[in-house]
Amino acid sequence: MPEAIVRPFPLKSPLRVLSSLRLTVVCLGLGMLLVFLGTLAQVHLGIHAVQERYFQSLIVFWSPPGASWKIPILPGGYLLGTVLLVNLIAAHGVRFQLTKKKLGIILLHFGVILLLIGQLLTGLFARETQMRIDEGQTAGYSEAPREVELAVIDRTDPNFDQVVAIPESILTRGGTIQNPTLPFTLNIRKFMGNTHLAMRSQMPEGRPSLATAGFGPKIVAEEAPRTVKDDERDLSAAYVEVNGVQGSLGTWLVSNAIPNTQPVTVDGHTYELVMRQRRFYKQFALTLLDFAHDRYAGTDIPKNFSSRVRLLDPERNENREVLISMNDPLRYRGFTFYQSGFDNDDKTTILQVVKNPAMLLPYIACGLVAAGLLVQFSMHLFGFIRKRA
Amino acid sequence: MAGTSHLPLKPPFLRHLPLIRLAFGLALPLVWAGCNRSDDQITVYRIPKETPTPAIIPPTAQAGAAGPAVHWTAPAGWEEQAASGFRKGSFIVTGPDGKKADVSVISFPEAAGGLLANVNRWRDQLKLPPITDVVQAGTPMEVAGRDMFFVELVSEQPLSPDGSKSRILGGIFPAGSETWFFKMIGPDALVASQREGFKQFLQSVHPAEGEVASSTAPGPMSANAGGNDSNAPTPPPIQSAQGAPVQYTLPSGWKEKPLTPMRLASFQATAPNGKETDISVVALPGVAGGDLANVNRWRGQMQLPPIDEDALAKTAEHVTVNGHDFLLVDLASEQPINGEKQRILAAILDENERSWFIKMTGEDAAVASQKSAFTDFLRGLKIP
Repeated sequence: MPEAIVRPFPLKSPLRVLSSLRLTVVCLGLGMLLVFLGTLAQVHLGIHAVQERYFQSLIVFWSPPGASWKIPILPGGYLLGTVLLVNLIAAHGVRFQLTKKKLGIILLHFGVILLLIGQLLTGLFARETQMRIDEGQTAGYSEAPREVELAVIDRTDPNFDQVVAIPESILTRGGTIQNPTLPFTLNIRKFMGNTHLAMRSQMPEGRPSLATAGFGPKIVAEEAPRTVKDDERDLSAAYVEVNGVQGSLGTWLVSNAIPNTQPVTVDGHTYELVMRQRRFYKQFALTLLDFAHDRYAGTDIPKNFSSRVRLLDPERNENREVLISMNDPLRYRGFTFYQSGFDNDDKTTILQVVKNPAMLLPYIACGLVAAGLLVQFSMHLFGFIRKRA
Repeated sequence: MAGTSHLPLKPPFLRHLPLIRLAFGLALPLVWAGCNRSDDQITVYRIPKETPTPAIIPPTAQAGAAGPAVHWTAPAGWEEQAASGFRKGSFIVTGPDGKKADVSVISFPEAAGGLLANVNRWRDQLKLPPITDVVQAGTPMEVAGRDMFFVELVSEQPLSPDGSKSRILGGIFPAGSETWFFKMIGPDALVASQREGFKQFLQSVHPAEGEVASSTAPGPMSANAGGNDSNAPTPPPIQSAQGAPVQYTLPSGWKEKPLTPMRLASFQATAPNGKETDISVVALPGVAGGDLANVNRWRGQMQLPPIDEDALAKTAEHVTVNGHDFLLVDLASEQPINGEKQRILAAILDENERSWFIKMTGEDAAVASQKSAFTDFLRGLKIP
């Protein structure tokens, strides 16, 4: 009988599993566990590392202290979110019908789907950086507070500086870096995420330096564990060997603790090497006209911070004054500039620069969920009233 | 018909294939994108000319237009070169063995990033590591009634074309709205032999007639320098101790002490416990390394661990005296240093591109007993 062959359809079960309510419950349970363990782990890892390892990952790994191997212990936030997303969509495909009666449920679930996607997009594409501007100065870039880059700057052209910026993620891999605009290769002999730096003259017993040129030989750099505190910044460093056509030109020590650039001359052409917080140049610039810091009378308790800036965008012919204050950010070209801090005796403003292409999704998602709930409950309410009448 | 009776049994998997595809289609590229963040790549970009750290050097019409605002007399034997670019003066000095050293005179508006940053710029040219302590930066000398900072640096590596070490002799001279930089760089032995000549050259420096008067009026530089539309008056230059001493009211029990080159005023006070404390008033151009660097230097003297900007902001006290906002620092050592506990009580004022340091050091209890006298002194101090 043909029916006998069709009934235990073997491909039916993966879909069943994928769309099952049981999977939803398991995912939500694991999600709760993940949030709980992630919160505990913040004590030792700090919020940023936990975000990365627990929530913005597919698998959470654990390795015993000092060991080089690691074992997976939990599904990460991205994996759970993805499975939940697939689960929800699959469930709709298998069980739900597009009828008027189910409109509320469908709206609500669509809202949840959008929320999941929005969170994923935010995790992947949102970027928070900082812009520091001194009064009277103009800034055309923002900096990543916890990420460095190695910049190779060529200032020979009288009209512009050419910068080759190598992000931290590439530096950590080590090895040779090549770029078609540079007539030499960079060999990252060692990258240290955080260091203690000392002058060799004050620490003669310090470990010998790999550096042979620049100020590196004068400095002892000891690797240190990366900071987990929110208000501390790593002092990263790297030993970079420059290899020209004729061979090695020397090894330089670069560190974001030392802002001075170091000249490297290759075939008579001078480049400058510097490690700095990773920069993101904008197509526009902000000039800080005035930073105001009001305190409550007779106290040092801040009442209000605000930055009066001039926005300059030659491309779009923008040239206007903007006041950025604590709850009144500047939104421009997809960036949001929040008043975040100040420094240097109220002469420097620190703006938090957020770019999040998925910024609107959570709002839309919440609106959909609310609308779905409203529709669903009012349908029940009206049905109930009608029955009573 | 057999075909139609089978239709309801078509597995849901096939029925919902488009939806499944949609689900995976949405989720997988996102996960994939997460593993391949496009920003983890080397970027190459061009930016408008950045001025090398730290000086902000706007190209101004003032440069060269009215001629140098500062004059000098070159020693005999220095060969004058045409001034070019930023150079307001240029000389070649040739040694008996034919080796050459280069002398340059340039000026930057305002404090040009501060003394320390500029000394570190020179150190960098000699491949010397940067310093953080402004006291190591140079020695002040009096030139034309103002402070000139004299700097001498020798490279550790052979950097000269002849295979010898390189040496820099430098003078940093704040004059009105500008800071002037005099520099000789060349082979170690030749430059060392020119030290006296170079010092004479520095001594010959004087602001041009008429420029002195205009230097106290709002300079055009301050209006144009950074696009700042505040018309802040150009700060007067620091007067040397001998030229115009700072004005103050002496608290009772304080005695004046002879001045040293760095000090604008110097006192000693005897505490009720018989111990003596030392009080100094020092002013430096620019931010002199910044509040944090100075506080940490003092913490080092008190054998306390350094702190960061946030901790300083939290612990530091501000007092406003006569409209000046002083950062007040009170540091006591935890252990005895040279037999007794020590204490530093200091006030820092950053104003008009100058940093003022008023500092009292001595035995812990002695300094503590003078705290109110110290505040009285700040009250009576006239910052020019």
